[in-house]
Amino acid sequence: MHPRLTLENVSYSYPLPGRGEAPALSSISLRVEPSEVLCIGGANGSGKSTLAQVCAGLLVPSSGSVHYLGKRVDGRKGLLGLRRKVGLLFQSPEDQLFADTIEKDISFGPRNHGLRGAELKERVREAAALFDFDLDRSGGKSPFALSEGEKRRVALAGVIALDPEVLILDEPFIGMDYDSRAHLQSLLERLRSRQGTSIVIVTHELATAWSLADRYAILSGGRLNLLQSRADLVSSEAELAPLGLRLPQWGVLANRLRRMGIAVDDPVDPRSLARAICSIREAGDGR
Amino acid sequence: MGGNRGSQIAVEGLSFTYPGADRQALSGVDIVFEQGQFYAILGRNGSGKSTLARCLNALLLPSAGTVTSCGLDTQDPGNSLDIRKRLSMVFQDPNTQIVGTTVEEEVAFGPENLGHPCGAIRERVNSSLELTGILGLVRSQPSRLSEGQKQLVAIAGALAMEPAFLISDESTSMLDNTARQRILELFLSLKEQGIGIIHVTHFLEEASMADRVVVLDDGRVTAESAPPDILFDPDKVRELGLDPLPVTLVAKEMSALGHPPAGPVLTVEELISCIRA
Repeated sequence: MHPRLTLENVSYSYPLPGRGEAPALSSISLRVEPSEVLCIGGANGSGKSTLAQVCAGLLVPSSGSVHYLGKRVDGRKGLLGLRRKVGLLFQSPEDQLFADTIEKDISFGPRNHGLRGAELKERVREAAALFDFDLDRSGGKSPFALSEGEKRRVALAGVIALDPEVLILDEPFIGMDYDSRAHLQSLLERLRSRQGTSIVIVTHELATAWSLADRYAILSGGRLNLLQSRADLVSSEAELAPLGLRLPQWGVLANRLRRMGIAVDDPVDPRSLARAICSIREAGDGR
Repeated sequence: MGGNRGSQIAVEGLSFTYPGADRQALSGVDIVFEQGQFYAILGRNGSGKSTLARCLNALLLPSAGTVTSCGLDTQDPGNSLDIRKRLSMVFQDPNTQIVGTTVEEEVAFGPENLGHPCGAIRERVNSSLELTGILGLVRSQPSRLSEGQKQLVAIAGALAMEPAFLISDESTSMLDNTARQRILELFLSLKEQGIGIIHVTHFLEEASMADRVVVLDDGRVTAESAPPDILFDPDKVRELGLDPLPVTLVAKEMSALGHPPAGPVLTVEELISCIRA
């Protein structure tokens, strides 16, 4: 079976009017599988947001190719097709919102995709309900009068209303407190397990993706430096620091324990870490 | 603590309501901030953290109660310039703060506005660039710098005012790890030099570096103490709308297995050293 999304040797340079171009991505090859959560990690300026926009069909690679379900994305028709399958949540909701009411904003995408009448209404209502928006009560309000957190929820409802097969979120958890983060995490988990949605989390803070992401693609200076599972990334701790990244406390602890000769099954589960620690303490007591 | 009123920020019975809002953003806040201490302000979204920060340096004025910053009542309009000299503020997005076309110009902006003589301004600019470790960028254009460097420029600009307190409203939240570490180290060294640091943050790892943690919930101060007293109990931390530190979740499981750590642990090093003990 083909991966959902494949990037082959993708490079991208931003044109600088009259001054040539600024390279942002070079030779990136990557796959996104159904039902997986992939984290694209990188420091400020590493190219991760550019990569997100290439994956979503908003930027066309300067060289290399993008494939969807094994089929090369080509020309305007190909790009439009890709945009129907891949939804992107921008880092700043202001970049995404523009309609004068919440309801119009959430319906914009699905309407563009040709949905009308009862079907459109139902889709928009469902997406809004996921984020606790009651459209009868607040659908007519302007999205710009909302708090930052609420704006982000409207923007996300608009992306989810497109029913994307691949959902890319650029720094979705910045500035979110525990409750909003937990709500979004469980929503993403549900989309992945019930609908098989592929989820891509773009972030400079690996801790925010840690409990969700299976694989980590680490960018630096526009290049793909590491592509690893969570367990393997833990052993790459020393390589992350020069790239401006750090493991969350989970990973640092698992790594320290490994170096002390203690195996850790899953560097995100407190019980298995506690068991590992207690096993040495018991061994120590028996001496 | 009976410190000198001139080196404190004393907040008494502070309430604040935004115009047109139907509820108070802050209600009945009593707290004292001392110079030379590092405070972390935590709380869920909408708990009043940024509002409190803005009340301290007279960007917002109390609806009720008083804020006396370095002996000056924020309510008195004649004090606001003096208050902002003593309490400098940096924000989440440095781009909203930067106005100069070179780093030097940017950092000189504050002291120039205060009408200091040229020589004195140059001295202040140099010493704040040195403190923040970006003296090498003095001729650079701020717009060409990385986000982390821009934030350091914003902090250098704040320090050029030679403040008694530096107030940071989530100044680290958009930065990558390298830039964030640098800023936290800078906060610690500024504190050693007697400057009070008041840092609004979502990150418990940052809060664990502070001397005191202040937690706001629904506009009220619900806790104020040394970091371990609040941060070590993951259930309490969740109740406050915060993400517990992984190490504290592991410690709780260790206790359930009959092997509690010797004391409250917040960092990996603390946990490891109690295994070795």
